[in-house]
Amino acid sequence: MTITIGLPSKGRMKDDASAIFARAGMLISAIGNERSYRGRIEGVDDVEIAFLSASEISREIGNGTVDFGVTGEDLIREELSDADRRMEISARLGFGHADVVVAVPDIWLDVESMADLGDVAADFRARHGRRLAIATKYWRLTQQHFSAQHGIQLYRIVESLGATEGAPAAGQADIIVDITSTGSTLVANHLKVLSDGVILRSEACLVRAKKPEHEGNATVARIVEAVRGVL
Amino acid sequence: MPLTDMPDFAAAILEEFAARGTTRVDTPVIQPAAPFLDMAGEDLRRRIFLTENERGASLCLRPEFTIPVCLRHIETATGTPKRYAYLGQVFRQRREGESEFYQAGIEDLGDRNAASADARVVVDALSCLTKILPGRGLAVTIGDQAVFEAVVAALGLPAGWQKRLVRAFGQTDLLEAMIARLARPQPVTGLSPAVEALLEAGDEAALVAHVEAEMERTGYLTNASRSPAEIVRRLKEKRLLAGASLDTAKLDALKEFLSINVSLRYAPGVLADFARSAGLPLEQAIAGFDARVAAFANAGASLADITWRAAFGRPLDYYTGLVFEITARGDHDVLAGGGRYDRMLTLLGAKDHIPAVGFALWLDRIEKARETSR
Repeated sequence: MTITIGLPSKGRMKDDASAIFARAGMLISAIGNERSYRGRIEGVDDVEIAFLSASEISREIGNGTVDFGVTGEDLIREELSDADRRMEISARLGFGHADVVVAVPDIWLDVESMADLGDVAADFRARHGRRLAIATKYWRLTQQHFSAQHGIQLYRIVESLGATEGAPAAGQADIIVDITSTGSTLVANHLKVLSDGVILRSEACLVRAKKPEHEGNATVARIVEAVRGVL
Repeated sequence: MPLTDMPDFAAAILEEFAARGTTRVDTPVIQPAAPFLDMAGEDLRRRIFLTENERGASLCLRPEFTIPVCLRHIETATGTPKRYAYLGQVFRQRREGESEFYQAGIEDLGDRNAASADARVVVDALSCLTKILPGRGLAVTIGDQAVFEAVVAALGLPAGWQKRLVRAFGQTDLLEAMIARLARPQPVTGLSPAVEALLEAGDEAALVAHVEAEMERTGYLTNASRSPAEIVRRLKEKRLLAGASLDTAKLDALKEFLSINVSLRYAPGVLADFARSAGLPLEQAIAGFDARVAAFANAGASLADITWRAAFGRPLDYYTGLVFEITARGDHDVLAGGGRYDRMLTLLGAKDHIPAVGFALWLDRIEKARETSR
């Protein structure tokens, strides 16, 4: 059986992932030219590398078309329903740190926690004729955090695929759910994170698609062990 | 097996609906999605089938009938009282069962006598089920948000806390966490010294001016949804909430109330005893509750088959009073579910307040129950 590993196809994520694999004794090279989207591990025949975009890696893990992937936990949990049944985080890789957070305008002096936000959301329609609007690209994580964890049902999601931090000032939404690594973009846009508003502390992970044929497979075990060994 | 045809007992249900003085209505399968998401919240998004039209408007396959029937009522403006009945396919992704299935139900709009209207729809649902599940014992569980609201009000908590508890009604974990929190006050933190000083001085106008200046400075003012006055008003309310707590006796009373689970035959006595021993003034709520019990008896319902569970509620802001579920005795599958939703029609845009109560029958579960009965 050939084991396929999905790796980020460009940028910091690609470099950092390759570096970890190299440290773990798995030197990755592209097949053909440098820009090729297929790769191999030197000296290993039964492993294939597929270079994919980070969000594609989550989807392919969900479909089981790749066996392993390196991607952010935020993308995995956003892309996959019932994520823990379908995948396993084999290792946290220590780079690509970012928190998915609930942030509200700084000037909402009365809102420090999700409970406060629940109060505001409950009255919002009566006061403003519409539900509280949240700008985000994280539909699933937002729903889980608001609906399942904090019992807040009454809000609407406004899809935002970029510059989400600007949505409240631009009047597109009231608050946001977005990733932040240093928090400086939030501060620059006069937003603050709620005290219990961290939905997920994400980082790049080596993720394995849960497949029955992985049971007892030596290559699978060796990859996990090698990566864990250098962290 | 997917239901490709109407269940064979559909005709019997429609007959019963007609006999019970209802008007049959139908609604388009493809509906604008916004009213459903506005009413039930974003959580519904995962469970409905969404699509877009060419102009980018969000559409969905009808996930239920109540909202379309109410919207149709508002559009046609034919006045109340009205008793609508429906039977048709709905589309929802569920953990168990097919995602297209049949529902039938009644929406009873505009009857000002809540007790008798409540009793009437429960009896409507019971007689439909008795007709298509002959010989099966049925069990009704009812809940009542109005009684819970009265208990919470009688405890003497600030209005903001009352609203929080009422919002959590029906969600056990959330409610328990709030009750635990109520055992001890929590101060408000994270305010700047300048804001603290203005709050301390009680200078509301200065505080509003401060918030407004800050909004102006950060360029947030033009599109701000919440005004400076709204933020300051809630900040003051929050201070009040933060200081609020309940003494042990009242906490115990609240917990005791939520644990009530009793046959409707004894429910009025149990509720009256609770009010007396807890020392809570609940006369009005008790009168409403008792009137409904009497209405049940008048409408011919067997009180022995009905259980009142005090903690039973639905966490949606349009439900206001009665909620109920009917199962076959000894089974968990909910065959019929309903309740009073007095706030919905106004939320959907009706100009007048229209009291409303109704129920839906889950025909796929009923079909299963019919098979096991055989």
